[in-house]
Amino acid sequence: MPEAGAAGAPLMTVIAVISFLACLALAGFFFVRQAAQQWTSDLSGSITVQIVGDSPSVIDRDIAAAENVLRATSGVEEVRVYSLEQRRKLLEPWLGKGRVSDSLPVPGIIAVEVSPALRKDLSGLQMDLANRAPGARLDDHGVWNDSLSASAQTGQILAFGIFLLIMVAACAVIIYAARAGLAANKEIIDVLHLVGASDEFIAAEVQRRFFVLGLRGALMGLSLAIIVLLLSGWALQGLEPSGYFLPAIRNNSATMVWLLMVPLLICTVAAVSAKQTVMRSLSGRW
Amino acid sequence: MVIAQSHKQRSVLVNFENVGLSYDGVSETLRDVNMVIRDGDFRFLTGPSGAGKTSLMRMIYLAQKPSSGRLTLFGENINQLPRDQLPLMRRRIGVVFQEFRLLEHLTAFENIALPMRVQGVNQNEYAQDVTELLTWVGLGDRVNALPETLSGGEKQRVALARALVSKPDLILADEPTGNVDPIMGERIMRLLVELNRLGTAVIVATHDLTLVRRMKKNILRLKDGRLSLHGPLKDISPATRAEASSRAAGDERSALGA
Repeated sequence: MPEAGAAGAPLMTVIAVISFLACLALAGFFFVRQAAQQWTSDLSGSITVQIVGDSPSVIDRDIAAAENVLRATSGVEEVRVYSLEQRRKLLEPWLGKGRVSDSLPVPGIIAVEVSPALRKDLSGLQMDLANRAPGARLDDHGVWNDSLSASAQTGQILAFGIFLLIMVAACAVIIYAARAGLAANKEIIDVLHLVGASDEFIAAEVQRRFFVLGLRGALMGLSLAIIVLLLSGWALQGLEPSGYFLPAIRNNSATMVWLLMVPLLICTVAAVSAKQTVMRSLSGRW
Repeated sequence: MVIAQSHKQRSVLVNFENVGLSYDGVSETLRDVNMVIRDGDFRFLTGPSGAGKTSLMRMIYLAQKPSSGRLTLFGENINQLPRDQLPLMRRRIGVVFQEFRLLEHLTAFENIALPMRVQGVNQNEYAQDVTELLTWVGLGDRVNALPETLSGGEKQRVALARALVSKPDLILADEPTGNVDPIMGERIMRLLVELNRLGTAVIVATHDLTLVRRMKKNILRLKDGRLSLHGPLKDISPATRAEASSRAAGDERSALGA
């Protein structure tokens, strides 16, 4: 098969663009997944005990009682009681600086780190707290976690769906190009048949051509996608220096490995669709 | 006029039994064709332009299925042949065309090697055969030439070498001298005759009656879709010669118009 067929450079450009978009969709998929994982894993070992009450003195009493319960419970690894000063600071964005009256019953907060075993079953601790400190409420961040993983899941499904759609587009483009290539090279294919070439031989030649074309285009798309991802990671890092909300782009070798699979997938898709197309259209002849 | 020959000792390569061909299902291009080609035969296929010479050839090299009747190639009824068997059968037949049909992006060597390559034969197994064939057709110095740099006669000799490289049992040549000058035409025809002397069966479709007369070979004549076998043309009267040359001119025009 001559290299200059129906498609050549334009097809390679299309494949490069498809590969670029596929890489971005896949990177989006992993980004959302890892961000959600990081958020939830940060929270999963920690619970919060809130203490509410009618007056500061009741609250202070329950805080002390709850702290005792927590320190006595096995599996509790760290107990951090927020002082009144710290709690007032937390309220500042809502109530304003220095305006909180001393008589306002500011709820108590105890941040607790627990072992995975205790995390699985908090009912014992919950009961102890209810007995000894009636104003204590145990928050295991379940609501936050649930809504977070639900939206992360939606994001992941969306990203993966887009990735699949892009792959379908790749298939369609390749099939179209393979058909056009067959029509444009009809004379050559007739000669190949004439000298005794089997359909498999012709299909293999076409397949090899599309594999190379697909690989070249896809690698171009991948390079571009990596550049864009690194640049946007770098830009976002500047915006959000703590790196808490945008963790996935940086230093993520697993994502990079998956991105490297995209060109392989694309050129395999190209080769297989081209071969199938050729075999199907040749078998219609005699 | 029609001669009966007995060739019981030689195997039958091609057998047409009441073969008909119709492209549109209504008008018949070929009707009731009966023909036997045996190992070692040489036949000219003649007839006016549009008589179906090319259609007949296309059926033998498996580019066209007969519409009716029975066509047997190398003992196999081709109507019952599965598609994956066609390449094996085509490899036993070498074909040469008026328009050469070389692959323009391949060198002379690569064009000739093509039938071997599509069979998956290793290059070092056929390289010597290809070189010898190039020498035999007088193009030993044009091994790496691309078709666009070759003259018509040179292209046709490359095409002939390509038809021979897989050592076929049968060579078909469809107007092989149509696009080459008369001297080269005669040279190509002599190559075909020499090949036949070495044992390969040859069918040459041509309207060049001058060459046909000179080669003194049996003639298959197609007229109005029907085929008949004749002995060699001995001499032709001036009237026939005039008719032949006007017919040839007509063929030339239709070939150019096509």
